[in-house]
Amino acid sequence: MNAKRNGLVALALVLAVIGLPAAAHHSVAGVFDVSRTLKLTGTVSRVDWVNPHTSVYLDVKESGGAVTTWRLECLPVAMMRKGGLSKQQLLGDGQTVTVAAHPARNGTPALGYLLDMSFGDGRHLQFSPDPNDKSAANQ
Amino acid sequence: MTIRSFASGVAGCLFASLVWGAAAAPHQINGHPDLNGVWENGGGIDFVKPVAGSKGSVCVTGCAAPGQKPAPRAVVIPDRPVYKPQFLARVQELAAKQVQFDPVLRCRPPGVPRIGPPDKIVQTAREVIFLYEDVSGPFFRVVPLDAKAKRNDDSESYQGEALGHWEADTLVVETRNFNDETWLTDDGAIHSTQLRVTERLRRSGDTIDYRAVVEDPVMLAQPWVMRPRTLTRTEVEFGEPAPCIEQDMQHMVDDSHHTNPR
Repeated sequence: MNAKRNGLVALALVLAVIGLPAAAHHSVAGVFDVSRTLKLTGTVSRVDWVNPHTSVYLDVKESGGAVTTWRLECLPVAMMRKGGLSKQQLLGDGQTVTVAAHPARNGTPALGYLLDMSFGDGRHLQFSPDPNDKSAANQ
Repeated sequence: MTIRSFASGVAGCLFASLVWGAAAAPHQINGHPDLNGVWENGGGIDFVKPVAGSKGSVCVTGCAAPGQKPAPRAVVIPDRPVYKPQFLARVQELAAKQVQFDPVLRCRPPGVPRIGPPDKIVQTAREVIFLYEDVSGPFFRVVPLDAKAKRNDDSESYQGEALGHWEADTLVVETRNFNDETWLTDDGAIHSTQLRVTERLRRSGDTIDYRAVVEDPVMLAQPWVMRPRTLTRTEVEFGEPAPCIEQDMQHMVDDSHHTNPR
């Protein structure tokens, strides 16, 4: 369990939020392999602030030097807003970021479901709990 | 206005307040309650309980203090329309295969009342405009308050043709002339073009009590009374709604889907 998540303080956000759309959608497990969690490190090159899912594009430098851009699907816009998050906050100003993500079930390369992000400046964003993190407090 | 009629009016308002036990609602100059504003309505993601951490950290879902398990999600007991027997099998099939058939999963309009209460209300003496940011995209509905108003295009439509009127302090919106391409709920709740929806909005202080009754004499065995919703006024501005751009369907492996909250 990483220290950043441990450092989260259980303080309810006092966030006024606008009306929220219903969240009905397909299951994450219908597209992504929730039994596997990948750790990736790179920089965020783009964020799609769209429904029904936002997407974070992560440029990951491979060992040979080539860069692979992952599209990491994430929560709907309404949930991001309720968490007080914006597109700009996900971009992270080009910092190095380490993420946890489920890979695509159908084998599509560089496609995943984003669970959390840890930025170089110590900021940690958890979007969904990782069912494969056996050391996590939230198991 | 005479002193007697003024006193009578004050007494009437006081009596009404006592009867309803509710905070007074601001009124417009024409005497009707002022529904203008941005309204938080819960919208099916009440289970999202964000937790703030240090250095700008945020946990959006599944949050727990160190060493603690996250609180389980509250069980949402869905309210569902009752169908005539000949339509039950079709509704059940669509519910089981929501991923294959649900129009909302393909960014198509959710229709009424599936879209839920409005996120923002713009009210004039002649019409009320409902604005929505839905997971399937931005939508709006124009509700004329003049019974003589008639849409130029009278084709059946996704949001139907709405007409509003005031019953005391309650805005009543009656909508019909729907197409049959939307669902009433997430669970395959189809309807015919004979769908009629009556919504009632009553403001008390900084909340609006929202209710909807759905009638479809072709498919439903009885009118469906939706679970009431409470809207809470917020000062957060209604920004540009996010568009809906579907990217998942090509990657779906099976029909698994959420337990559906609306």
